[in-house]
This record gives sequence, C-alpha cells and structure tokens, in this order.
Amino acid sequence: MALTYALPIPIPSTFDRSRTLSMPSNEDKVLAQLVSDRDEAALETLYRSHGGAVKAIARRVLRDEALAEDVVQDVFVSFWGAAHRYDPERGSIRTYLLTIAHRRAVDIVRSEESRAAREENTPLTPPPIDLENEVWLRTQSEQVRDAVAGLRPDEREAISLAYFGGLSYVEVARALGQPEGTVKSRIRNGMKKLSEELGAATS
Amino acid sequence: MNHDTLMELAALYALDALEGGELVDFEEHLDGCEACQAEVDSYRAVASQLVVDEPATDTTWGLIRDRIADSAEVVQLDPGRRDPADRPWKWVAAVAAVAALVLAGVLAVQLIAAPGLSDASVVAAAETAATEDGSIVGDFLVDGVPVAQVVLTEDGRGFVIPSDDLAALDETQTYQLWVINDSEEVISAGVLGAAPAPATFTWTGDISGFALTREVAGGVISSAGDVVSVITDV
Repeated sequence: MALTYALPIPIPSTFDRSRTLSMPSNEDKVLAQLVSDRDEAALETLYRSHGGAVKAIARRVLRDEALAEDVVQDVFVSFWGAAHRYDPERGSIRTYLLTIAHRRAVDIVRSEESRAAREENTPLTPPPIDLENEVWLRTQSEQVRDAVAGLRPDEREAISLAYFGGLSYVEVARALGQPEGTVKSRIRNGMKKLSEELGAATS
Repeated sequence: MNHDTLMELAALYALDALEGGELVDFEEHLDGCEACQAEVDSYRAVASQLVVDEPATDTTWGLIRDRIADSAEVVQLDPGRRDPADRPWKWVAAVAAVAALVLAGVLAVQLIAAPGLSDASVVAAAETAATEDGSIVGDFLVDGVPVAQVVLTEDGRGFVIPSDDLAALDETQTYQLWVINDSEEVISAGVLGAAPAPATFTWTGDISGFALTREVAGGVISSAGDVVSVITDV
C-alpha cells in the first residue's frame, strides 16, 4: 500500500535511533491521530517502524514464535481500536507499543507457567538466559551498549531475567537463589544507572 | 506504604516485575501520583531501548490488516444506540476451550458504557432487572470475593456492576467481558476499561456463562487465558 505522507522510514544507519525512537515526536502525534481517524496507512507505517521491535520483545519473553506472532497482531489491532489512549506527553509510540507487548507477553507467560505449575504441582522453572548472547549486547546503539556495559553483572542479570525472561522480581530471586530484597535492589539500581546514562534520550 | 517506598517500585513496575499485593498497591498509588507516573514512563522508555529492532514482515501486516477489516464494523458501532432486537454480536465467530480457560472471540473494541446514564441509574436499573422473571444474575468471584455482578434479562438487556474489590488496571490494560453460549463459543461482549464503572450490554442469544478477563488496552480478539473470573451454568 502506498503511503500518502512522508515519514522517516527506513531510518538511516547514521540516525541516532535510541534518541529518536524513544522520544515522542510530531510524527507520533500525527500518526496516532490518523490511526484514531481510521487511517490504515498510518497503522501500516507504525507497524513498519515498530512491528519488528514488538515481535522481538514478545518472542524473547515468550520463546514461542506463534505466540509472539499473536502478540504482535493483538498489539496493533488493539492500537487500531484505542489509539486515542496513547498520550504523546508520556512517551513515544514505540515505548507505548512495547509496553503493551511486554505486558501482554508477561501475562501469557505467567498464566501458562502458573497453570502448568498447578497442574503438575511443580515449581516454576526460570527461562534460560544466555548473557553472552543477550539481545541487548547485540543492540545497534552504541549509547545503549555503553550504558549496559556500565552495569554490574548481577544487575544486568537481574534486569535481563525480569525484562527478557518475563519473571517477577520474586521469581528472579528464586531463580538466582538470592534474597528478594537483594534482587529488588539490583533491578532498581541497574535501571537507575541506565536511566542516568540514557536520560537524554528518554526524557 | 508511603510515596517514597512506592516510588522505589517504579523501576520494577516498568519491567512488569511486580506481582501480588505490591502490584495492587503500586497501581492504586499510580493513579493519583504524577511523580510516580513520570518515573514509570521514564523507565519504560529506557526498557524500550534495550529491544533490538528486526524487520517487520509483510505476512504479519497482512494478518493485521485482515483483522482490522473484520473488526471495522464493530469499531464503528455504538452499543448504546443499537437496536436491542438485533442480535448484537452476530458477526462473532470464534470457538475456544473454556475448560482450559483459553478464550477467543471477535474483537469488540468499543467501550461498554451506559451513555446518558449515571452510575447510580445503571445500578438501579440492574437491581430492577435482577428481579424480573427469567433474569440471570451472577457474581464474578476472585478468591470468594465478588468483584463484579452481571445481570441479563430475558429480553437481552445486560448490566455489569463492578464492586470496589475489582482492582483498577493501568492504562495499558482493560477488563473485557465475554459471553459463553450453549455451544461453548466464547464471544466478546465488549471492553470494560481499566477502571470499570457500571455498564450495560446486550445479548439475546443462548448463554451458558460469562467470563471476565484482563487484556491489553482496547481489547483483544483472542485471550491467552488471563481470566479474572468465570460464571458457568447460568
């Protein structure tokens, strides 16, 4: 389908992706309004821009291609019906869509795990996390890579299990054999460091 | 917990790493605290930068386009003005395994509401409807505590009355109401919103139960089973 307006797609390789994609932009506001007005081309533009990231986080959390595919569809179909709920003052559309996708994926994981645990009466099994190949270490943004490199390994591990593993901090503590308070602090401190390093891109 | 204590949970909330009582407490606090909302927004923006983009496929876009085309009629309908004699969800065609608490239905993205009526009026109408011959009255229970009551009259007027024990969700989520018919088809009756108020709906088909689920904002076509409560054998 031909788009009727010019938008920064694809993003040039020299573009500062982290900064631009995290901040609300005029394009975000315009696109959200167009989707609210039932402009299918606008939704397609959003999908072309952010559908890959939505799929990536859903697949990372769910570790299931088919379920991740369902989440991607649900996220964009939901946005089609409720774009007016997006508030540009609170962040970018990318962040909004990824937040919905992550929440949706986590809900599925916890629902499935909880059901399996009830049926089998077995403890929850933490997902395998291969930190050496963790997705954020392969990120294209040098700024993000440097920020992540500034975390302590235990902070990175806790955040990785929570965000990419879809675990609650209580489950992370159980998976690592650490006190809950310790894990809570690692996640909080790690996210504060990331926020400080990436603040200019996210404020 | 006080504000400072709750604010310390913002990073964990942004990563969806809270659950149970802490999640409930934080979300209740979040509703009225702009500082914590800003903190959560900031951490969500940080988290979103940790995700690596990959190509978006044409195949997926085609499926999304098909789904929004299927839902287009639903999106534009106003449940408050629909002819009650017209079966409201006749375009729905989805089957799910209710026993496994996996629900599916066709998207009904409009918010269920009661246009022009106050909450008290809807509650009063529901109370009256509940006394009519042939009306179905059921309670959605969570751990034995009623979180919402549903009333459906013989002529198809439905009411959903949330109790104070139904926890408000954040803006990324919504409660969604489903009807289960005699064929165990699970059909979306509409989206209730993150903090449901007394609302009306219409259902004139056969019915064996109701389900209340928590979904992403705007409602979904299929649910993976985040079921809040189910009423069966009505």
